[in-house]
Amino acid sequence: MSNALTLAPAPRSEAAEQVRAEVREFLAAELAAGTFETHVDTWLSGVDPVFSRKLGERGWLGMTWPKKYGGHERSAMERYAVTEELLAAGAPVAAHWIADRQSGPNLLTYGTEKQRQEILPRIVAGECFFVIGMSEPDSGSDLASIRTKAVRNADGDWVVNGAKVWTSNAHHSHYGIVLVRTAPSDPAHRHAGMSQLLIDLSLPGITINPIRILDGGHHFNEVVFEDVVVPGDMLLGEEGNGWHQVTAELAFERSGPERFLSTYPLVAEFGRRVADSGDPAQLAVLGRISARVLALRQMSLRIAAALDRGELPNIPAALVKDVGTSFEGDVIEEIRKVVDVTPSLDSPDPLARALAEAQLHAPGYTLRGGTNEILRGIVARGLGLR
Amino acid sequence: MSDQDLVVETVRDILTGFEPFALTADRRWDAGLWSALADAGLTGVGLPEEAGGSGGELADAVAIVRTLAAGAGAVPVAEQLLVAGPALLAADLDLPSPEEPTTFAIADAVTVHPVDDGDGPGRFTLTGTVPDVAWAGVASRVVVLAPAPGGIEGAVLALVDVSSLPASDAYNLAGEPRGSLVLEQAAASGALLSETRAGELRARYALARAVQLAAALEQVLAWTVQYAGERQQFGRPLGKFQAIQMELAEMAGEVTAVTALTDAAVQALDRGGNVVLAAAAAKVRAGAAVEVVARLAHQVHGAIGFTQEHKLHHLTRRLWSWRDEAGSELVWSRVLASGLLADGPDGLWPALTRVV
Repeated sequence: MSNALTLAPAPRSEAAEQVRAEVREFLAAELAAGTFETHVDTWLSGVDPVFSRKLGERGWLGMTWPKKYGGHERSAMERYAVTEELLAAGAPVAAHWIADRQSGPNLLTYGTEKQRQEILPRIVAGECFFVIGMSEPDSGSDLASIRTKAVRNADGDWVVNGAKVWTSNAHHSHYGIVLVRTAPSDPAHRHAGMSQLLIDLSLPGITINPIRILDGGHHFNEVVFEDVVVPGDMLLGEEGNGWHQVTAELAFERSGPERFLSTYPLVAEFGRRVADSGDPAQLAVLGRISARVLALRQMSLRIAAALDRGELPNIPAALVKDVGTSFEGDVIEEIRKVVDVTPSLDSPDPLARALAEAQLHAPGYTLRGGTNEILRGIVARGLGLR
Repeated sequence: MSDQDLVVETVRDILTGFEPFALTADRRWDAGLWSALADAGLTGVGLPEEAGGSGGELADAVAIVRTLAAGAGAVPVAEQLLVAGPALLAADLDLPSPEEPTTFAIADAVTVHPVDDGDGPGRFTLTGTVPDVAWAGVASRVVVLAPAPGGIEGAVLALVDVSSLPASDAYNLAGEPRGSLVLEQAAASGALLSETRAGELRARYALARAVQLAAALEQVLAWTVQYAGERQQFGRPLGKFQAIQMELAEMAGEVTAVTALTDAAVQALDRGGNVVLAAAAAKVRAGAAVEVVARLAHQVHGAIGFTQEHKLHHLTRRLWSWRDEAGSELVWSRVLASGLLADGPDGLWPALTRVV
């Protein structure tokens, strides 16, 4: 099998199991106190800044980052255990998710010292939230076609014009890392001329328009930039290096347990039903689902271990997201075939509610973070076919 | 080079002299390959030297089984190295010479009677039909897992010499012998096992098949990727077509999932973890991948892959067989789910994080 896809097994981590137990205890106490309710897909829809601050106080944000920026210098395996427990419990983690997973590591790699010192400790505290500014209304997964542009003015500041779309929770967030054209597009070099800007979302000229999804929820936005003046020192990384930077960033985005646990709260609810019914057909479905969860955990753990070794496994990460997000949607069909339940957001039956939430969010799983067709193209490259 | 790399290279070298062939009633196994492996001491790997084996770790035995499975070697090595041999050792029974093939079978319909024939304790007679015996008619001994005599809890593990017994002719989809053995007061040495230990043995058997499935799935993917890169259609290699790339990527996802979970289950067995749930999960996941991988492999290969002259069938037919042997996905998915719910309705997630 191609080495590009294969990663070494993850070593067992006692430290990770230790922090897993602590998170589990914390979540049980919070649930008992009624500070949150379990929901499906909470890393998109569960915005709760108070909960995020609590996680910050516990040391569960910025876990792998250097101490000099407030981080905790723990392993990717420990961070994996924390994120996995939060997702399995359906906890409200959307406020800080992007900042902790992606924007912080991005700043660590490409940010200036000033940017890091100003922003990273606030992310670690659960007080600073980020959005991803990649997609545009006409670009989708084809990021090379973006049109939002930034030009230097006489003062050396950037003047930004354009629009980003699908920016999750921009209305609750403080900054965006926004991919912009800083040189006109060149059909011969589609990936050239792009840069990333660190943009304070409270700047004049920024309008945030809600986009509602199927369940009526407001998580997505269109963010419009009209002559927004971004200070010159808010360039992230190198001018013209934007394509390379976003590509590297996506390895963090694609490999985590959020790529197969978005609908786990539905599985948990189904598990309660099966425990109650003992129905053989339901048991078989739960077993099949569980085997898929266990395989995905091993795949994702291997990536966490590779990150600890300092690798950036882009291709296995694409694979996890393809297999994992397909699974997130599949469980809906698997479960509904063996239960006589009508999905409804208003039902007194928690299984009916979880099914409804999972169903209404389903189209997103295989779209966000790059469509699965794009990911399979990356995997095909790893197989040596392109 | 690690020990396992060395083992794999040795087995590959041996395999090059024994190309896979279509199994028939006249040619039911590769006796020459078995002899070559036995001569190299490879049919006793993972079994301690003091018991007559060749020494080495479980991981070495798994590496041998994987390599032979990927090469469609028609020999009972998985049964001997991963199931029958370790089962005998765990039950404190004598290991037959590893140079003669020993297989494993589950014999739920066999009646066991203890006997006192002067050879000491642990002597039994067995009566009844043992169905679905892997390599029936090939293996000279079979390690049988049968219900304990009436009134006793647990099971009996017995070593039966079947070299003089006729086996009924039956074959799996790949042509591998899977006949029945009829035992009539067959004398055997044996040992009583607890229900737990018996369950672990069944799981070991399933895990052995999962290991074979994982290796065969990887090989089928590799063959298919290679074929797509070579076969030209409409003026370019198949692999340049986006539709084919999507299919190969889907296969790669399935195979990677199976490998990751099977490796983890083997590690769980090695460190004495909960082998039943780990093996159940690996068997279920591997079985589920077969449908996707075999279907797409044949689709990409086109009609030539559907012919007996092409090598693909050696593995796809085994995939279709192995997924239902040693307990199907239905059987093991129920075992897995029941085990995961053992701590109650809210225990599913904590259980999932403990299995592997």
